[in-house]
Amino acid sequence: MTELRDVSFSYAAAPEKGCIKHMDLTVPDGQFLLLTGSSGCGKSTVIRLLNGLVPHFFEGELSGDVLIDGRSVPKMELYETAALQGTVFQNPRAQFFTVDTTGELAFGCENQGLPENEILSRIGRTVERFRISDLMDRNIFCMSGGEKQKIACASVDTLQPPLILLDEPSANLDYASTMQLREIIKLWKSEGRTIIAAEHRLFYLWDIADRALLIRDGAIAEDWSRADMDAMTNEKLAEYGLRSIHDTDPVTIERSCSRGEVFNVKPHKKFTFPAEIPLHEITAVVGRNGAGKTTFLRHMCRSARRSRRIFMVMQDVDHQLFTDSVLEEVLISLAQEDEAKAREILRSLDLEDFADRHPMSLSGGQKQRVAIACAAASGRDILLFDEPTSGLDYEHMRQTADLLRQLREQGRTVLVVTHDSELIEACCTNIIRLES
Amino acid sequence: MIKLDPRTKLLLLLAEAVIVLGGLGGGNAEPFKTVFMALPFLLLLTVKKYRTAVIGAVLLGLGLAAGHIPTEGRGAIVLLMCSGILTRFVPSLMMGNYVMSSTRVSEFTAAMERMHVTPKITIPMAVMFRFFPTVKEECSAIGEAMKMRDIRLGGSKVMQMAEYRLVPMMTCSVKIGEELSAAALTRGLGSPVKRTNVCRIGFRAADIAMFLLCAAALVWIIWRSVT
Repeated sequence: MTELRDVSFSYAAAPEKGCIKHMDLTVPDGQFLLLTGSSGCGKSTVIRLLNGLVPHFFEGELSGDVLIDGRSVPKMELYETAALQGTVFQNPRAQFFTVDTTGELAFGCENQGLPENEILSRIGRTVERFRISDLMDRNIFCMSGGEKQKIACASVDTLQPPLILLDEPSANLDYASTMQLREIIKLWKSEGRTIIAAEHRLFYLWDIADRALLIRDGAIAEDWSRADMDAMTNEKLAEYGLRSIHDTDPVTIERSCSRGEVFNVKPHKKFTFPAEIPLHEITAVVGRNGAGKTTFLRHMCRSARRSRRIFMVMQDVDHQLFTDSVLEEVLISLAQEDEAKAREILRSLDLEDFADRHPMSLSGGQKQRVAIACAAASGRDILLFDEPTSGLDYEHMRQTADLLRQLREQGRTVLVVTHDSELIEACCTNIIRLES
Repeated sequence: MIKLDPRTKLLLLLAEAVIVLGGLGGGNAEPFKTVFMALPFLLLLTVKKYRTAVIGAVLLGLGLAAGHIPTEGRGAIVLLMCSGILTRFVPSLMMGNYVMSSTRVSEFTAAMERMHVTPKITIPMAVMFRFFPTVKEECSAIGEAMKMRDIRLGGSKVMQMAEYRLVPMMTCSVKIGEELSAAALTRGLGSPVKRTNVCRIGFRAADIAMFLLCAAALVWIIWRSVT
């Protein structure tokens, strides 16, 4: 049994964000519990309380007790908790210790000091059950996000922990990989493991979870049983600020716009990409893993380097913000430094109040807007977005959709590579499918 | 295919640094210096890193050739400098490349354990294997972003170039570093239990040959220097 007893916690670094207030929770063995709620509501903190990262790694003020099978997590050392639980994290690139997949599967067991033969037989069992023999002995740096997340699940599986924790595991995955993740979770559930998952994207877990909690401001706002979950509709979930429970494969959505002006894409050597992009529309670019979405983005950027028409807002916006203030960021993008003009651009994107802030101190959505401001300053009229809503909750997804519409109204062309069917349905006016 | 023990690789790296990079013994080191200059390329071929080996060999060839071009005055000094830098650094860099690309993290930690090195040293060094490729990925993403925003060498912002590249690099590296440590800790890294290791390491014929080579080089250099 897993329990939280009157737990309160606030981070030392940011006391308001993600704090927990007097939470009581009992999860019986074998239950699959889904934690949901908007960003910063504290659902990730619950996961961290259970794996011991709070308070051992993320420091702050803790009261109450967290128990796994009667043992207190805050009082245990992290390596003791490691034997009781396994965690799959959000970012597939930052949860591996080794570089090769086989070493990764052995890593947790090696730390526990299990005998060598035992480890090898466990790896064999996991590989067989997960059907991942083709992924063994590979370099993790040469794998796709979906494959990495499978290896992350497999390396949790070899430890055979009674409690499995998932912290937004699908945030960086496309539709097909998310469905494979669902299969792995179903396998764990059928084996009677206790599973606790924090997620925004509900569609792939809603029908297999036993219970769901809505967390709001660090407290349990709703506790839905299986029967409540069956009776739930998308409209009601939207009122709670939650994402859709219907699984729409983005590849199946239909959209088409009237033909107007177009941007001509140069042909690519290997892939057959669409030759024309309609201007002044919001075009979604969808496709399965390996259909060349990344290559397409890169090709678009390259083919328009001369004409300086295209600007890409990267998935990790941190990569493209270089300076120490938002204003400076816009100034260096202008052909001639002109502060009045820079401020005007910031005003048009509701960023005026942040002009003197350091870009890295802003939220993800604000950083995205700073990048767009830079694009506007450099006079580019075609904006590419690479998965702008990965890991965003319902409210923030709506905000991104509004922003894209606003950009279109200003006469810009928006191209958005995404696997988020809700975003496509909310704002896209055209759709392009990439086939491999 | 030759597979060396990580300990042998560390010894070779040290020998490379002392004999080729450090130039121990000067002219007395011949013919071993030539052997150690060629060795990293042969080792790279055994792990199928043909492209790296060829690029390195071309650079080394240029360095060697530059030392033999008859010139006078200022040109000669420049040529000599280029030659010196290339012939000294390229073999050592190639050896480093070989060690990093052919050693797995678990092999490395196993070897360090056999040498009774404390985990306080082993773990940060093991993280390096992960960290370098990560930084490389980050760096290329940032480079791409800079090109897109028209921030290039030769613009009016030359002085800020380094800053613009370093700021996002550092932010991203710190973030990834934190996530990496958190993930490793939840999986029991740092436990006082004696770690097992599933990979098999141990000395074989090739390792013994390499040890003999290094020992012979050392004896030869000392003997030549004394007499």
